[in-house]
Amino acid sequence: MPGEVIPYRPVRARGDDTAWLGMVIFLGSWAMMFGSLFFSYGVLRLRQPAWPPADAPPLPLLLPLVNCGVIVLTSVALQRALVAARRGDRSSMVRGVFAGGALATLFLALQTVLWTSLFTSGLSLGDGSLAAVVYGLTGFHALHVVVGLLGLGLLLPAVLRGTLNAARNNRLRLWVMYWHFVGAVWLTMALLLFVV
Amino acid sequence: MEVSHTMSASLPLLLSWISNPFVAVGLPRDASESGWQIDEMIRSTTIAVSILFILMVLWMLWSVVRHGPEHKALYDHGADFKSWRWTALVAALIFVVVDGDLLYRSTRFMFGTFFDFARAEATPGAVRIQINAHQWAWDARYAGPDGSFNTPDDIVVLNDLVVPQGVPVIFQITATDVIHGFNVPNMRMKVDAIPGTVTRMWFQPRETGVFEIICAQHCGANHYKMRGTVTVLPRADFDRWAQITSINSARAFDGKDLEAHWGWNWAAHARLQ
Amino acid sequence: MTSQEVAFDRQTIEALQPIHPPPTTFFSKYIWSLDHKVIGKQYLWAGLIFLLLGGTLAMMIRWQWGFPGQPVPVLGPTLLRSSGGVIGPALYMQLFTMHGLIMIFFAITPILIGAFGNFCIPLLIGARDMAFPWLNALSFWVFFLSQLLVIGAFFGDLGAAGAGWTTYPPLATNIGTPGSGQTLMVAAVFVTGVASIMGGINYVTTVIRLRAPGMTYMRMPLTVWGQFLTAILNVLFIPVLGSAALLLLMDRVFGTQFFIAGAAAVKGGGDPILFQHLFWIFGHPEVYILILPAWGIVADLLAFFSRKPANWYKGTVLAMSAVTILSAVVYGHHMFQTGMNPLLGQGFTTLTLIISVPAQVLFLNWLRTIYKGSIRLTVPMLFTLGMVFVFGLGGLTGLYLGAAAPDIYLHDTMFVVGHFHFTMAAASFLASLAGIYFWFPKMFGRMTNPTLGKIHFWVSSVGITLVFSGQLLVGYAGQNRRLWNPFEYELFRPLQPLNRWTSYAAFILFFAQLVFVWNFFHSMARGKKAGPNPWEVGTLEWSIPSPPPVHNYDAIPVVLRGPHELSDPALEARLGRDWVGQAEVVPTEATGTVPLVQRGVT
Repeated sequence: MPGEVIPYRPVRARGDDTAWLGMVIFLGSWAMMFGSLFFSYGVLRLRQPAWPPADAPPLPLLLPLVNCGVIVLTSVALQRALVAARRGDRSSMVRGVFAGGALATLFLALQTVLWTSLFTSGLSLGDGSLAAVVYGLTGFHALHVVVGLLGLGLLLPAVLRGTLNAARNNRLRLWVMYWHFVGAVWLTMALLLFVV
Repeated sequence: MEVSHTMSASLPLLLSWISNPFVAVGLPRDASESGWQIDEMIRSTTIAVSILFILMVLWMLWSVVRHGPEHKALYDHGADFKSWRWTALVAALIFVVVDGDLLYRSTRFMFGTFFDFARAEATPGAVRIQINAHQWAWDARYAGPDGSFNTPDDIVVLNDLVVPQGVPVIFQITATDVIHGFNVPNMRMKVDAIPGTVTRMWFQPRETGVFEIICAQHCGANHYKMRGTVTVLPRADFDRWAQITSINSARAFDGKDLEAHWGWNWAAHARLQ
Repeated sequence: MTSQEVAFDRQTIEALQPIHPPPTTFFSKYIWSLDHKVIGKQYLWAGLIFLLLGGTLAMMIRWQWGFPGQPVPVLGPTLLRSSGGVIGPALYMQLFTMHGLIMIFFAITPILIGAFGNFCIPLLIGARDMAFPWLNALSFWVFFLSQLLVIGAFFGDLGAAGAGWTTYPPLATNIGTPGSGQTLMVAAVFVTGVASIMGGINYVTTVIRLRAPGMTYMRMPLTVWGQFLTAILNVLFIPVLGSAALLLLMDRVFGTQFFIAGAAAVKGGGDPILFQHLFWIFGHPEVYILILPAWGIVADLLAFFSRKPANWYKGTVLAMSAVTILSAVVYGHHMFQTGMNPLLGQGFTTLTLIISVPAQVLFLNWLRTIYKGSIRLTVPMLFTLGMVFVFGLGGLTGLYLGAAAPDIYLHDTMFVVGHFHFTMAAASFLASLAGIYFWFPKMFGRMTNPTLGKIHFWVSSVGITLVFSGQLLVGYAGQNRRLWNPFEYELFRPLQPLNRWTSYAAFILFFAQLVFVWNFFHSMARGKKAGPNPWEVGTLEWSIPSPPPVHNYDAIPVVLRGPHELSDPALEARLGRDWVGQAEVVPTEATGTVPLVQRGVT
């Protein structure tokens, strides 16, 4: 229409924000995936008259709780690495990334202990819905921890070389978001599977 | 392949199909007491959607023929209230009339008939059958004279059920291996047979005759052959059949054949509360 | 900020989408291309090839129903030698399983969403490429990998997958369909899901972030709305399918018991119905995923070829959004026969009937768009009108199935098959063809042959209507689905002639596509060269050459109006034509100056 002034939404300059949005959408998608798995757990659990089923070995509580702590510490370490990167503090950033990696590896080691203890106490993979849920969900989550470790590995050259710095640290930010997600999933999973 | 034979045999059908498809390929015979409700829903919906369909076609034809390239297009976004109000009202009208009618009738049928197990169970003389579907046949069990399932006098048949006319026939159904679908089109009833669950359905036969059971859920290579029959007999004939069959079953009863005793406690799954 | 201040910063916008030097090597141009237009074409080829495969499988199914137990011509002597050319019951279940899975995931999805989404979204919103070009290329090759898994499934030790496209356990576990074929197909579905999620992330982010200045949400072509809403559904609900596929794979490969019950259950076992919940929470949004892009394309093309704006654009957007939001809560109507709680069934019935209301609104908008238009029956318009016809018919048949009571009789009959073939297969297929014929000049720089296009349209539409009406009719008479030989049952023997005639129509439909194949390839090589805007419409992609340069727009356009500004009398008088571009600068009458674009709120 003649003479009309058309409103226009300003574009934020940083392409980083676009990548951030993509990551948020991806994590939303993956939240639906884990949400479906939790839904499945709920359906299977409600169908059984008793949970855990009477003939099943008792589920451990200590190990999952310890791992909750470990994964929270992983997130903390990596978040501190990100903050350090933004500050330009290279040595703290490197320390944080290595600490995060080490803690994540510890998480996987403890999960392996959890699985072997369950197996030796008599819960094998085919033992009904309890086994399916416990092994299946924790196993799938562990896969995501492995992927996260691979991500940290991919970041390592940039971290060590210093190409990740105060101005350019979006890749680190994205992987740290991923790690927070993985941590939140574990906390929910541990609560639903082992506590409640 | 005898092409000419097939062509000549199907030509009359094609002609009748073109002229009146619903005569040539109509709903199967309804031999049940309540099936007419479903038929009525289907028929009234058919009338409504046929009218809407014809209106749609006429509208499109009119537009294409009368508003072709020589017609001057009307620059209208249809965005003002008076314009879109029309659209919204028509959609609402169709929803209330067509969808509303269907919703009402469906609700009435589901709650008044389909789920009215209490009435069916309370009817004296109602027949109860447990179905154990498996690849690829229908095991059926009646309670027998003692009224309890999984006892020596149970009538156990394979694929060929016999039921009396004029009383509810109530089914509790499960499967052992994969999901099957217990389906009796002439009674307008079907329900899935699911391993690990007991599903239920009931119908009341109105007419005598032999009707087919057709598996309605893909269950493997021989899904197409998972056929059974429901023979509806007058009450007296059914009672006689039940008596004789029960005696035969009791004679053949083998206490050690645990797999044959797949029946279950009826009341536990009747869910009458 | 005063109102005279021109606030949009061209430098900033251009910096967000820099023009890269075009690729030079064969590998970077055609194999690992970061250009959304090339990736779109890759999806198109991949989809068309599998469309042919899926169609061939359908012809084999139709052969079996038309001529049960007879040797199949051509394919029998070559592929089915061990059975004397005859399709047996075990092969038959693989045919309908693979047909369904291939058509949905490996044909329609790549064409309607992969090809049109990729090709159209950046062009139509005035962007140079997707938000994540590298992820885009990766998504295609992950999809390609899933197609390889499908091919692999055909060579499974016990044949291809055979549990139906719905893959219900326990039939889909090792109890019902042992062998690597079924496992590979479940894996293929998981992998294609990953590709779809990658694509979905890209589409959503691109639409949110990379719209040109002035391209508000309410000025986007409806094609983009369709793709945007589909991408949102993909991102949200493919993961649910992913979880179902994952758990099923665990049952098959690791011996878990998520879905195994009955005689094979150990220590309580699992729940087969859980799979159905997961599958249909995905599955119902999936049918909207497959139709929303078609709705968008149709709404745009009806406006373009009626030479008037799409009727009540906002209503169509609201309707499409309402369907998107409601899509997941109606899923239970696929499970009416599982013995669900009556109140739950009533809820699903009510919601399913409600979701038809927004669909009616957008359908009425289509009808009002063409009314009082100046309709040009080009080939894309013919296919668009065809889609309206088949979708109207198919949508109406959904009424019977949405209410729990009539569904008792109609569930698992060919009526359901006819319904979804009309609404999903026919409508998406015709819309895809409308889109192909419409964007062909932009993709390949040439026009297709209109006469061949019209022949293709008429034979296909008549064929489609006959074939799927045939399915509706035999379903109405009670013929169940997935029966190798329906005529085992006395009830269905009278339906044999009708089945045979439907098969004849299907064969004609199949072979009519050869006209399209010829037209497509011949026009690509020898078609009349296309100008930038052969259809005389105003969306942004028609303001640049056909085909566009790699970077699309030399300067990011500034959008001044909506996508269907056709037959505006004021502009028609000034410009001497009935269309005006979305970014076209038309000097104002009074002041002779150019309208300003100002910082503000969308």
